[in-house]
Amino acid sequence: MKILAILWKEWLELRRERSLLISLFLPPLLLTLMPIGIMIALRDAPDDDTSKLGIVLADPTLAGMNTADLGQAVMGKQFSLLMLLTPVLLSGIIAAYSIVGEKTGRTLEPLLATPIKTWELLLAKCLTALIPAVGTAWVSAAIFAIGVGSVANSPQVAEAVLNPAWTTVLIFCSPSLALIAIAMCVAISSRVNDPRTAQQITAVAIIPLMAIFFAQMAGALVLNVPLALGAAIVLALIAAGSLWAAVQLFQREAILTRWR
Amino acid sequence: MFAIETQELTRTFGERVAVDKLTLQIPVGHVFGFLGPNGAGKTTTVRMLAGLIAPSSGKAHVAGCEIGPQSDSVRRIVGLLTETPGLYDKLTAQQNLVFFGQMYDLTRTKAEQQAQAYLRLLGLWERRDDTVGGFSKGMRQKLAIARALLHDPQVVFLDEPTSGLDPEAARTVRDSVRALRDEGRTVFLTTHNLNEVEELCDLVGVFRSRLVALGTPDQLRSRLFGSGTIIRMASAATAWIETARSLAFVRSVVANENTLTVALDDPESQNPELVRALAVAGAPIRYVEQQAHSLEEVYLELVGSQEEQPR
Repeated sequence: MKILAILWKEWLELRRERSLLISLFLPPLLLTLMPIGIMIALRDAPDDDTSKLGIVLADPTLAGMNTADLGQAVMGKQFSLLMLLTPVLLSGIIAAYSIVGEKTGRTLEPLLATPIKTWELLLAKCLTALIPAVGTAWVSAAIFAIGVGSVANSPQVAEAVLNPAWTTVLIFCSPSLALIAIAMCVAISSRVNDPRTAQQITAVAIIPLMAIFFAQMAGALVLNVPLALGAAIVLALIAAGSLWAAVQLFQREAILTRWR
Repeated sequence: MFAIETQELTRTFGERVAVDKLTLQIPVGHVFGFLGPNGAGKTTTVRMLAGLIAPSSGKAHVAGCEIGPQSDSVRRIVGLLTETPGLYDKLTAQQNLVFFGQMYDLTRTKAEQQAQAYLRLLGLWERRDDTVGGFSKGMRQKLAIARALLHDPQVVFLDEPTSGLDPEAARTVRDSVRALRDEGRTVFLTTHNLNEVEELCDLVGVFRSRLVALGTPDQLRSRLFGSGTIIRMASAATAWIETARSLAFVRSVVANENTLTVALDDPESQNPELVRALAVAGAPIRYVEQQAHSLEEVYLELVGSQEEQPR
């Protein structure tokens, strides 16, 4: 009941924060449309010998493609990984505004004066950040998948980009990554007064994703379903631990008496 | 039956003692004025009593619930007007109240009914659908007061409730405080407006990290300045000094032009005999008045005497 009321209140506030909404939804839109545009541009790329490229040798799904197909597939795959940043970035921004905003708006004390329990407040705040972040990521991914399916030169390109491993990561890893970012944000927000500080520190959560991105780009890592599922389990455990730590760090009394 | 009862309630922040062994009993249905200079520890006391922060030592019960172990219950049955209104600027007045009503476990329908009632009572009904970001300071304050009362709390903590309000709105708030008392609720009023305290409070506590004085406004006056009666004559009052002094219960007499100031222990019972004696002696009495010291004088005297003492 209280959690739903907070979600409703947060949604009303977010809806009226136009500049925040633009900054929230512009990056996912660009990450969705840019690869489709690039894939269109690569449709008629002149053919060349690509059989010795490291990325082709490392990833069997790319074997036998001509240059145009390979260009589309490689671009699509890299951007598909970048799309996984969406839930992390969005949840960090929303969580920072949502928690630090209560402090800067001086609404935290009246809110904590109600009989709301700490876990109810933090769960509501987490969902406030998680739902739009993951929802946007999944909608963007769906648009991306439709776009890739439409502009890919061949079914093999679409299958290489929209592979089961990517879908597994998107569905199972991105909520956990978002939760880790939110938990970091909650913990940091308990100690800072500026949403930007919380956001900047929360950005650390994207490092594992960037590592995977660069490893795949260099041909050092090929995502497959077992690896994605393993990562999902590890991330879920880290997310649970992070949330537990965030709840422990969120001490109502200290926040009220030390935040100035 | 006490609405608020504390026993040696203490709160420290590191080395600093913000609240030092506060022992206090406030009966149900009373308006209690909590006075003290800035930084005296009033907000810390209110935060403890409202279940927001725990005491370092000592005990307190609010409406029968012990703060600390039962702080969740305390928060459910008290209303709190904080130093700053603390409202959501992007939400309308109605949305703010409905949201906080739900936080106090009201159903959405009940929260909407209560919000409507208080928006009307405090003259904000016409602005109910406007976002609070565009409200004046006074309107915000009224809305914050509505929020504190929304769930019909048994004990209400009001921190400077009329601060920033125009006289008409301040009057509405004071009437609301009286109405709360008439309904049997207890109001813990923190304010610097001593006229307001005089007008509203049944009991006053002067606080400066510890309780300096506690009593009704009249008791504090009497304790500090004694009780007295002023008798205004048609002619010079010096002629009647001896008549007054001849009465055993008179503690002292001072004459100043046409005015006789007589110090008494219990003016209400001793005034008739005093006036009778003067009249029999032929004193041309025009008026008999109670010697009144303002609460401001009392407060300044109490706080001033504390400043002189090492803390």
